[in-house]
Amino acid sequence: MASRRSTRHDGEQGIRFSRTLFIALLVVSGALIAFDRPASRSAPFASFRAGFTDVSAPLLDLVAKPLRAIKNIGPYWRRQGELVAENDRLLQQLTEARYWEDLAYRQRDRIEVYEDVLDVESAAIEDRIGAWTVADPRGPFVRARLIGRGSDAGIRNGYPVINLYGLVGRVYETGRRSARVLLLTDLNSRVPVMADRSNARAILVGDNSEFPRLDYVGRAPDIQPGDRIVSSGDDGILPRGLPVGEAVATRDGGWRVRLYSDQAPVDFVWVWPFQRVTAPVPESEPDIPLTEEAPVADQAGADQPGAEPAGDGPTSSEDASPDQGDAAVDDSDTNATPPDGTATEDNR
Amino acid sequence: MRKPTDRNSPWLAATGCIASVLIALIIQASPTRLVDGLTIMPTWTLMAIFLWANVRPQFMPPIAVFAIGLTQDLLTGAPMGVWALAYLVSISVFRFRGEDGMPRDLPPVLLRFGATLLLAHGIAFAAGSFALEQMADLQPLVIEIVASILMFPLPAYLVLRRRRSRGSGFIGG
Repeated sequence: MASRRSTRHDGEQGIRFSRTLFIALLVVSGALIAFDRPASRSAPFASFRAGFTDVSAPLLDLVAKPLRAIKNIGPYWRRQGELVAENDRLLQQLTEARYWEDLAYRQRDRIEVYEDVLDVESAAIEDRIGAWTVADPRGPFVRARLIGRGSDAGIRNGYPVINLYGLVGRVYETGRRSARVLLLTDLNSRVPVMADRSNARAILVGDNSEFPRLDYVGRAPDIQPGDRIVSSGDDGILPRGLPVGEAVATRDGGWRVRLYSDQAPVDFVWVWPFQRVTAPVPESEPDIPLTEEAPVADQAGADQPGAEPAGDGPTSSEDASPDQGDAAVDDSDTNATPPDGTATEDNR
Repeated sequence: MRKPTDRNSPWLAATGCIASVLIALIIQASPTRLVDGLTIMPTWTLMAIFLWANVRPQFMPPIAVFAIGLTQDLLTGAPMGVWALAYLVSISVFRFRGEDGMPRDLPPVLLRFGATLLLAHGIAFAAGSFALEQMADLQPLVIEIVASILMFPLPAYLVLRRRRSRGSGFIGG
C-alpha cells in the first residue's frame, strides 16, 4: 500500500511513474526557465547551449544536405523553359555591367587612396566567413538560425550576418563549430538603421512578423515608401551601410521594412568579422589644452554674428582666461605647423 | 504463459522509439525554409511522445519526456525548460491509463491528443512569455497546433492499424 502511494503502476506494462521524480523534474524545468532567460543568461548556461549546438550541428547539417538537394529539384525544372529568355536578359545586363565594372574599379582605386590618406581600414569581402545554415527552427520564442561554423572559424558574438541580398541578423551564441544567428525579425532584435536617401535615423525592431517595424522615426520622418534602408552603424556594433530592406508604409501611419534578405532562403550566409567601435579612452593627463580648447574657441567665435574666422580662436581665448590665452598662443603656433585638418582649414 | 507483447524483442521497439523521437526532433529543427513554401512544422515531437507514452509507456517515463523537451529547447534556441515543462505536464495529465492503455479506435485518440496539444502549447506560451519577459508570439503556436491536428491522424492511424494487426503490441510487440 505504501508503495502504491509513492509510485503508480499503469496498465499491464508495469511502468512506474514516480511522483517524487515527476515533481523534481517540474522543479528543474521551472528553475531552468527562470535562470535561462535570454535577457539575463549567465555564462555557464550560454556555454552549455553553445556546446550542445556544437554537438548537434553536424547531425543537423546531415539532414540539411538532402533538404537542399530537394529544394533545388523544383527550381531546376521550372527554369528549363525560361533559359532562352533569361539568357538574352543576362547578355544585356552583362553589357551594362561592363560599364559599372569599369566604374567600380576606378572607385575602388580612389577609395584605396582615400583610405591610405585617412588611415582607415575596412573589412574586405574575402575577410567574410561563409557558412551554411544547418537548422532553421521557426518557433514562437525565437527566430534564429544555426550555422555550421563557430569560433574556430573566427566567429564571435555580435558579428553581423549577411546573405547575397542584405543583412540577415547577428551572431548571438557561438560555439566552437556552430553559431546561432538572431534574425532581424526576432522579438529581441534591435538594429539602428537609416534611410539611404535622407539619412533619417530609426531603430529596426523585430516583432516576429515578416516585416520588422521602424521605431523612433520622429514626428515627421523623412522616409518615403520604397526608400532603401541600411544599417546606420550608430551603435558601433554593426558597420554602416549594410543593405537591410525597403521602407513600407503601414495603414496606421507607421513604417515597416521589407527585408532584402528574404528575397532568397537564408541558406548560405557570410559572417562579417566587424570589430565593434569602442568609445575612446580619455587621456591620462587632463591638462592638454591644444586639442581641447581650440575648437571651443572656434565655436565661441562662430556663435558671434559677423565674426571673422581667421584669428578668431586666439582672440576669444585671450578674452576667456590667462591660461587659455597661453593655450591660444600655443594654438597659433600650432597653426603654423598644422597637426590636424581643423588647423589646416583655419590657415586657409 | 507469455503475453502477446513479449513475443518479439523489446530492443526493436526501443530502437523504433528512439529513432522516431530523434527524427521528430531533427525535423522540428531542420532548415525548413530551404524548401519553398514549407515553413510551418507540426509538433512531430509531441506526436512521437504521445504515441509512445500510450503504446509503450515503459519507453516514455517522465525523465525521457523531460529530456526530449529539453533537447527540443536547445535545438530550437528556446529558453531551456519551456518545452520540457510543457511536454511533462501535458503528457502526464492526458495519457491513457488503465488496463488497456490506448484504445484501438481513432476518435478518442484524436480527442486526447488534441487536449494534450492544447495544454502543452498553453504551458509553453506561458512559460516562454515568462522567460522572454514579454508576450511570446501566439501566431506560430496557433499554426503549429492547427498543423499538428491536421497531421496527427496519419501517424495515429498507422499506429492503431499496427496494434490491431499485432494484438496489443506495436513495433516489435
